[in-house]
Amino acid sequence: MKFLETLLNGLSSGSTYAMIALGYTMVYGIAKMLNFAHGDVIMVGGYTLFVTAMTMGMHPLVALLLAVICCAILGVTIEKLAYKPLRGASPLAVLITAIGMSYLLQSMAQMIFGSADRMVRLFDLGKINIGSFRISAYTVVTLSCSAVIMVALSLFVKYTRIGRAMIAVSEDKAAAQLMGINVNFIITITFAIGSALAAFAGFFMVLKSPPVNSTLGAMPGIKAFTAAVIGGIGSIPGAMLGGILMGVVESFAQTSPVIAPFTVAIEFSILIVILLVRPSGILGKKRREKV
Amino acid sequence: MKKVLAITMAALMVAAMFAGCTPAGTAGGNAKNTEFVIGMSGPLTGGAAVYGVAVKNAAQMAVDEINAAGGLNGVNFKLIATDDQHDATKVATNYANLMNQGMQVSLGTVTTAPGLEFKPLAKEDNVFFLTPSASGDKIPEFDNGFQMCFADGNQGAVAADYVNNAGLTKIGVFYKSDDSYSNGIYKQFKENLDADIEVVETSFTEATSTDFATQISQLKECPFIFMPIYYQPAAVFMEQAKNEVPAGVTYYGCDGFDGLAGQLDLTTIPQEVSMLSHFDATATEGKAAEFVKKYTEKFGAETLNQFGASAYDCVYAIYGAMKELIDEGKEVTPQTTASDLCDMLKAKFTGGYTLAEGATGANIKWNADGTVAKGAVKYNLK
Repeated sequence: MKFLETLLNGLSSGSTYAMIALGYTMVYGIAKMLNFAHGDVIMVGGYTLFVTAMTMGMHPLVALLLAVICCAILGVTIEKLAYKPLRGASPLAVLITAIGMSYLLQSMAQMIFGSADRMVRLFDLGKINIGSFRISAYTVVTLSCSAVIMVALSLFVKYTRIGRAMIAVSEDKAAAQLMGINVNFIITITFAIGSALAAFAGFFMVLKSPPVNSTLGAMPGIKAFTAAVIGGIGSIPGAMLGGILMGVVESFAQTSPVIAPFTVAIEFSILIVILLVRPSGILGKKRREKV
Repeated sequence: MKKVLAITMAALMVAAMFAGCTPAGTAGGNAKNTEFVIGMSGPLTGGAAVYGVAVKNAAQMAVDEINAAGGLNGVNFKLIATDDQHDATKVATNYANLMNQGMQVSLGTVTTAPGLEFKPLAKEDNVFFLTPSASGDKIPEFDNGFQMCFADGNQGAVAADYVNNAGLTKIGVFYKSDDSYSNGIYKQFKENLDADIEVVETSFTEATSTDFATQISQLKECPFIFMPIYYQPAAVFMEQAKNEVPAGVTYYGCDGFDGLAGQLDLTTIPQEVSMLSHFDATATEGKAAEFVKKYTEKFGAETLNQFGASAYDCVYAIYGAMKELIDEGKEVTPQTTASDLCDMLKAKFTGGYTLAEGATGANIKWNADGTVAKGAVKYNLK
């Protein structure tokens, strides 16, 4: 019973990581860049929920919708302002810009909202009883929501015109452009979708733990990035798998009093092990380096 | 003209320099005392005034009671309270004033930061002080300093002592493994806990401080959960656990729980939220209840807190020790110098002197290092 509970807790936090990891992996796959400001988009989502649901008293679901829109717009704006001018620049320049963007967002949030925690209390979800087994409604909600979102995303990528264009751009940007695909538009769409997913992740996070502060997204962002690399960066199913794996490992590591203090170290060690065995991640494509 | 001004300024500065000094050797102008003089420094105004006022009120109440009952051998006590506004820079002046007014024994300071300034001054003149509430570990560093409250670094041992005596067979622990405050208290707690109490140990780190689902499922069968952590993660834990952990469970924290009520509405938490303390304002019997009744009748409930209760006990502890000294045939009069009195009181307090019953505990004794040895109580936060 304990085992099942720990597993479910792990799946639930893992699905939040997966949601964030999707943003990393999609942007990497298509724009070939690591968007380190992605974690901070979650934080902006958290503050949007604070302003809409707590200050203005909107219904939590309306607030969620606004947070999703806000984050999508923010993601697109970041891409247009900071990353687009650097297209074609060295990957290192883009990376540093992304890190700078992350600090900019954090500092701006701190200037606007201060450094004290803001409380976002949306729903009191309570418990669900299945026979003698009690499971928290939060777990059910996050798991089912993220399953729906992930399936929808997979279908979108596979069967819509824009989705297929995304795959094409990720496989060969130049060839896709020659085939008449508007690469800039596809990149914009990718940032919008990734940031919208970050808003969902932010929603799940405040649903579990109400305090929102300027570094809300920093640690989950890094963990999700690690998850994306474990799963094979650029691969959508890989990000899901990596995220879930992170969550489950975290949950089980915390059950042992001896191992618990090293939980985060263990999570990141998985990355090293995976990269030693499969350098391109669990589901990553093997690429032959041409000399 | 300029020259005259310069000389005047220089003269003023020299005068000011001397004004700041207490003439050495005449420590305690108590030759003209007609009463035993107890001195203290505390925040009587400013942001921390609620603590200083509580200490002053309660100490004065104890002094009045003692005097009404005939004082010590017919000699009355007198309390002199000076205001430091919880500002360490005001302490030296306060101390000099107290000494000039004949202070023989002291309650030290109410808060820790000013206490660290007070400590070396009192050491230099060898003045005995028993602070009601300055809980810093360094406060009783010198041999003349004693505490009535638990020292910050002793909370682990005191909490373990409470658990050992509470008749529990299984407890849960929830601590932050990458935080020195939490680690320190938990380590000491573990060392002092009875071996036959089963412990379910869980922990978290800064990087995992938002999602406690796993820890909660580990802990939910424990009737008592010890949480030596600060209030922010404690509030997150309590909110996430409110539907998971049975309502009868007790959360027990240390001073890190101060401020918890500002972080979340405790009435929405079905479990019992409590913290380590030496005073229970909700007590219905014993000396604590008696103190609460007398204090609220006199000063109202607004400043009723553990600081006052502790100060009340301090005055009685000093009175009791001086009474024992007189009974032993020692000469203790209002003319006894602070230093002579200090030597006698030090020997008493480190020699097994006991305050049999106080508002903050029974059988209160002191360790050789000046820290207090008494039982902790569980103080309910709601």
